Amino acid sequence: MADWQIDLIKVVFIWTWALLIAVVMTWVERRASAMMQDRVGPNRAGPFGLLQPLADGIKLFTKEDIIPKRARKILFILGPPLFAIPAFSTYAVVPFGDKIVIGGKEIILQVSDVNIGFLYILALSAIAVYGMVIGGWASNSKYSILGGLRATAQLISYEIPMGLALLTIVLLYGTFSLREIVLQQQGTFLGVLPNWGFFKQPLGFIIFLVAAYAEANRVPFDLPECESELVTGYHTEYGSMRLGLYLFGEYVNLGTLAAVTVSLFFGGWGLPYIDMSKFLGPISYGIASFLVFFVKQAFFLFLFVWVRWTVPRFRYDQLMGLGWKALIPLGLINLFITALLVQLTV
Amino acid sequence: MVRRPVVKKEYSLGERVYLVEIAKGLGLTWKHFVFNVKASFRKGPHTVPTCWQYPEDRREIAPIFRGAHMLQLNDKGQELCVGCGMCARACPAKCITVKRGKPAKGEEDKYAGKTMCVSFEIDILRCIFCGLCEKSCPKNALVLGQDYELADYEPEHCIYDKDRLIANFHRARSEGLLKPPPVPIPVEAPPAKKKIAQKGDEKKGSSGKASVKGGKKSASNRKGEA
Repeated sequence: MADWQIDLIKVVFIWTWALLIAVVMTWVERRASAMMQDRVGPNRAGPFGLLQPLADGIKLFTKEDIIPKRARKILFILGPPLFAIPAFSTYAVVPFGDKIVIGGKEIILQVSDVNIGFLYILALSAIAVYGMVIGGWASNSKYSILGGLRATAQLISYEIPMGLALLTIVLLYGTFSLREIVLQQQGTFLGVLPNWGFFKQPLGFIIFLVAAYAEANRVPFDLPECESELVTGYHTEYGSMRLGLYLFGEYVNLGTLAAVTVSLFFGGWGLPYIDMSKFLGPISYGIASFLVFFVKQAFFLFLFVWVRWTVPRFRYDQLMGLGWKALIPLGLINLFITALLVQLTV
Repeated sequence: MVRRPVVKKEYSLGERVYLVEIAKGLGLTWKHFVFNVKASFRKGPHTVPTCWQYPEDRREIAPIFRGAHMLQLNDKGQELCVGCGMCARACPAKCITVKRGKPAKGEEDKYAGKTMCVSFEIDILRCIFCGLCEKSCPKNALVLGQDYELADYEPEHCIYDKDRLIANFHRARSEGLLKPPPVPIPVEAPPAKKKIAQKGDEKKGSSGKASVKGGKKSASNRKGEA
């Protein structure tokens, strides 16, 4: 097989994988939330209601596609893809497994090992907010514009702590490539703990996680949507599959953020204490590393749902206060300490 | 109304950091999650602890439930209804129409009484299921059964005729869901009541010829005071 064929297969695989996660997540969100709230949840379509996302998708396809009369048509159409595409694209640099050897050819389980994968993730996650702002502004509705405005303000206060948290990781590992970072997280340090970013940067992890929730517009920071105040915020005027794209992009975004969290702080595909490559064949090792990665990602996906049904929404000024007055100073202190330690040890 | 001053709670550092409290909250939701997931794997009806999954799970109905009507037959298979029309007169919704008639020659043994109902119609759309028809029936022929899924697509189908009412009875009998015969209300004048009534009369010094109604009333009043 030529290289481009392998790349194509990888792209198609990760694409379907991202879609599949998003589809299953809509089901998990509804069922798990029901279980947490002593309800039942959708259980009619298929076994355990597993076909519910499919039914929802069909429903959204058959709905009338309405564009409001005074809306900016081009921007209105542009909004949803602008929101969903960056979410999908971020997957390109996520290492979803170590490597698989097929027919004597070593294939790295990552679409592309960009040496600035880090900056790529930050850049794309910042672009995603344009989808919300443009969608909100183009709909010509007060709720939408408020949602879009909130998305912007939220972005400004959360990109900085997130960047600071990620900077510490870069300082620690000395590289921008995600694969390199994951490789450096294998093994143990201090003899007992797994060599994960989480144990080396607990504060950085917490800052990153909080920022990730704000990034994904999830409760407790779902102020751009905020259904009790703003109807549904920036996508109030959307319907049909345009709305579907927004909702879908949100879940793809969750998958991406969970994958990034796992690769940066939880050792990616590696199991703690056990080196799988020693006792597994080349092909089964590739598959096992992918499964380990998926289990970790699934945990963080579930955590998104779990937190959503535990914590109430923050007030808007509280959110700003948390971002500017707590997370940014903490991130700066964390960065300073890490820099000092790195300087002293190296 | 006295207004109490608003006291602001002083939060400790752990509470202000908020993460510990979130962890506690996560623990609580996790408890509910595990409980409900476990419960959803339970076998048998009523698997969801918080609600009944209606078409599969059905609640048990009390034996004196007032559902769809039926016209009862006796043990010999004779119709009990004599077509007296007491039910139609008692019905507050005026949804029952009964036509009385005499059984045709040679068909006398099909009916328990000397007369029978030629037609018996209940408009189930108007019925309020109060059960007065059942109470008023002197032969215990008309009974409200346990069937409660009475929705239909056609309003005409909601007028139950005699055949359907008897079919209802046959179905209930085959499912063993017949109503137990009504327990006769004991008709007796309790002696204690009389005594109190007499006492009241004595105290008031009224004549013993007070109307029965009034006497009863005063008796019940006495009782309440005692």
